[in-house]
Amino acid sequence: MIDPRIYETFCEIGRDLFESNMISSHGGNLSVRLGDRVVIKRRGAQLGRLKPHDLIETRLDKNDSGVALASTELLVHRTIYMNTPALAICHCHPRTAVAFSLSRDEYVPIDNEASYLLKRIPVVTEEFPSGTPQMANKVAEALKNYKIILLRGHGSFATGQTLDEAFHWSSTLEESCQIELAVKAINEPFIEYRKMSESYNKF
Amino acid sequence: MAGWSEKVLDIDLNNKTYRTYPLDMEISRLFIGGRGLGARLLWDMVGPEVDALAPENVLIFTNGPLTATGYQTSNRFSVTTKSPLTGTVLDANSGGFWGMQFKKAGYDVMIVRGKSEKPVWIEIKNDVIAFHDASELWGMRVFALTEKLGQNNNKRNVLCIGPAGENLSRIASIMNDRERALARGGPGAVMGSKNLKAIVVEGKDRTEINDPEQFKFLLYETRKLLAASPLTSQALPEFGTVVLMNIMNNIGALATRNHQQTQFEGAEAISGEELTEKYLVKNSSCWACPIGCTRISKTDKAEGEGPEFESTWAFGAQCGIDDLPAIIEANMLCNDLGLDTISAGSTIACAMEMSENGYLDSDLRFGRADQLAPTLEAIAHRKDVGADLADGSLRLGTKYGHPELSMSAKGMEMPAYDPRGMQGQGLLYATSNRGGCHMRGNMVGPEVLGLPKLIDRFQVQGKSSFVTLHQNSSAAIDSLVICKFTNMGVADEYFARVLSAVTGIQYDTGEMIRVGERVWNLERMYNLREGFTSKDDTLPPRLLNDAPTDGPSKGWVVKLEPMLKEYYRGRGWDENGVPTPKKLADLGLAGL
Amino acid sequence: MPIVKLYANLRKLAGTKELIVTESTIGAVLNELVKQNPPLGDVILENGKLRQHIVITLNGHNAVDLNVEVNEQDIVAIFPPIAGG
Repeated sequence: MIDPRIYETFCEIGRDLFESNMISSHGGNLSVRLGDRVVIKRRGAQLGRLKPHDLIETRLDKNDSGVALASTELLVHRTIYMNTPALAICHCHPRTAVAFSLSRDEYVPIDNEASYLLKRIPVVTEEFPSGTPQMANKVAEALKNYKIILLRGHGSFATGQTLDEAFHWSSTLEESCQIELAVKAINEPFIEYRKMSESYNKF
Repeated sequence: MAGWSEKVLDIDLNNKTYRTYPLDMEISRLFIGGRGLGARLLWDMVGPEVDALAPENVLIFTNGPLTATGYQTSNRFSVTTKSPLTGTVLDANSGGFWGMQFKKAGYDVMIVRGKSEKPVWIEIKNDVIAFHDASELWGMRVFALTEKLGQNNNKRNVLCIGPAGENLSRIASIMNDRERALARGGPGAVMGSKNLKAIVVEGKDRTEINDPEQFKFLLYETRKLLAASPLTSQALPEFGTVVLMNIMNNIGALATRNHQQTQFEGAEAISGEELTEKYLVKNSSCWACPIGCTRISKTDKAEGEGPEFESTWAFGAQCGIDDLPAIIEANMLCNDLGLDTISAGSTIACAMEMSENGYLDSDLRFGRADQLAPTLEAIAHRKDVGADLADGSLRLGTKYGHPELSMSAKGMEMPAYDPRGMQGQGLLYATSNRGGCHMRGNMVGPEVLGLPKLIDRFQVQGKSSFVTLHQNSSAAIDSLVICKFTNMGVADEYFARVLSAVTGIQYDTGEMIRVGERVWNLERMYNLREGFTSKDDTLPPRLLNDAPTDGPSKGWVVKLEPMLKEYYRGRGWDENGVPTPKKLADLGLAGL
Repeated sequence: MPIVKLYANLRKLAGTKELIVTESTIGAVLNELVKQNPPLGDVILENGKLRQHIVITLNGHNAVDLNVEVNEQDIVAIFPPIAGG
């Protein structure tokens, strides 16, 4: 039995993700850790239109939900929970951030909000970027030290104590990337406004 | 290696000798310093056969690699011992200046063993260690003694016990820098049992930093973050921690009259706002701290540091007292006598309830502000009713046939937050390794203040995940050793990077919090070895069975059982709350 | 009439500890409050939305949804960002 308050939060954040163009209709995923169990979206469900039966609960160390129903990305979520202090995960496909992940090994924000909150976002890469143990381990490893990372060509994984927090990092990243994109379009010399900014990429 | 001094000072009071030797760096990598290192060393040194007040118990003072580096709040230090109040592993943590000086004196760890035949005090000036006769000083109160031994915040620092510790009160504190306290669990009694009156330090060393450039950047970022957070830049310096009084009362989670109610009609009169308006002289801070949460308060009778939220609550709402000057004076009196304010206040409250019901023959009554000062003196000197109160509320309640009136967990008096208004806090009190304590994973952030984000304080499912995370994170911060208020503006990931920059060892955020998890599990194993079981992971019957009849928490009791089940499983423990061999192996504790 | 209680530095900014309001939802109450006491606006709101770490309770329960109704006997308490141990 999943507490209705938890379901409500999934619905709200799921809707926000879709409406802010951070996911396609059926893409992305959200999960939370409850003690030694994980709650995650069912495979094939729409995050923007969740129904109560769209949330699956399963064990942390293995899938005991009724295998076929849980998302293909359950493995990476469980791996993250077992290797980091995360209590909530937001995985989405923020378009501009994904675009930058295709040409950079790290994204270092230049706008105030993201450089203040995030500093540096590493990009990890994996040949089969969906559902494999290799990908799960790589993503979890990177999230040991950063609260949000990019998986090249795929999307972002963000962790937090609550879905609200994980969504916050995801939204901040996408905003930052859109600003950077606009800067590129404007194409005028960048005026540095931050002190010690040369250290951000070493964070 | 940078960060650590890599030196242990090992003192034998039986013979008044000492030796120094290198710090075990293998252990230090895994436990860092402060609370973690202390716990690991205590595991080896003090087993179940040792009574807390026997000479075979030890006092282990520890710094961390960040201490005295100048990073914000890098002034804190720990003492670890077996608690005479609870019988569990005890670490107590204090700020001020002593820890910084102790690091400058060149040591990460000081172990104090045995018992001196006559009262003694120790003076440490880097390599020069001297034992002095303290017969003339025995009986002196903390303020006078601190001055007499030459306290100078930046150069020479005094750590000592007052009459309470000398008289082996199990709620006695160790005081440093006049008004900072290693308060909870009775470490003052351990020091008193060793006939050790004071430890004075002077130091000259500087802490080595491995990557000064990165360190400088993190220092700058931290300064920016602390200045940007209204919590650390406005709320704490302006109102101090007592600012919590009104909000805890408003939401119905302010324990009142020995936890009989969850709201206090006199909360406004003892609030941070009232303190600031009428009794505050100025704020003050510990070494290297830009926050400045310390209060300097003044009444007609006294002027000094404090009071903090918990102290104000303990003598205020818990005792049904709304006389703020009397509370301020009671707080200062505890500092001068060397008593833990939370345990003292809550024990007095327990005595008040017992007296009102005729279980205890005394004139103590709720609301009697005039009784605070004489009762505290009586406790510290074990006189009259003080003799019954000096060992805490559980021993008091048990002696007179009503242990259920002690608002304690594992024998340690719980603080202000009434868990019937905060489910997570209830789980925290029940599972905290040193007993009923809020500083080992405080849930006030997420459950009340929305730090980092608000969670429903009445929600039960999933709550244990937060408690576990906060317990682990707190344990890591206590091992660095820095102040948890920094955490209000600065996320855990910064501390991991500062630790890496200072020591040269790469700790990622997850690993640093794992240190906390390791420490937590080690402390748990220690308590299990002492004979504690899952039966001790509990709360007073009042909190499990008696729901408040009005206020926002009306109808709520602590739903401990489901939270505890989920907690054990989430921590990788069996259904009896014992860490499994796999969990211990994962944490590198397989050898225990 | 519902009452709004103010805490910490909000009192100085508004010049009072509590006020009586007439509006019917939390959001409307906040707007009324800020209109009456503009200095409060800078602390409580940012671009018309509630600032992070402002805690609002309705009869002691955290009020997160600004559309929640406020009734006759209700007490709305507003706390600026505060902290403690």
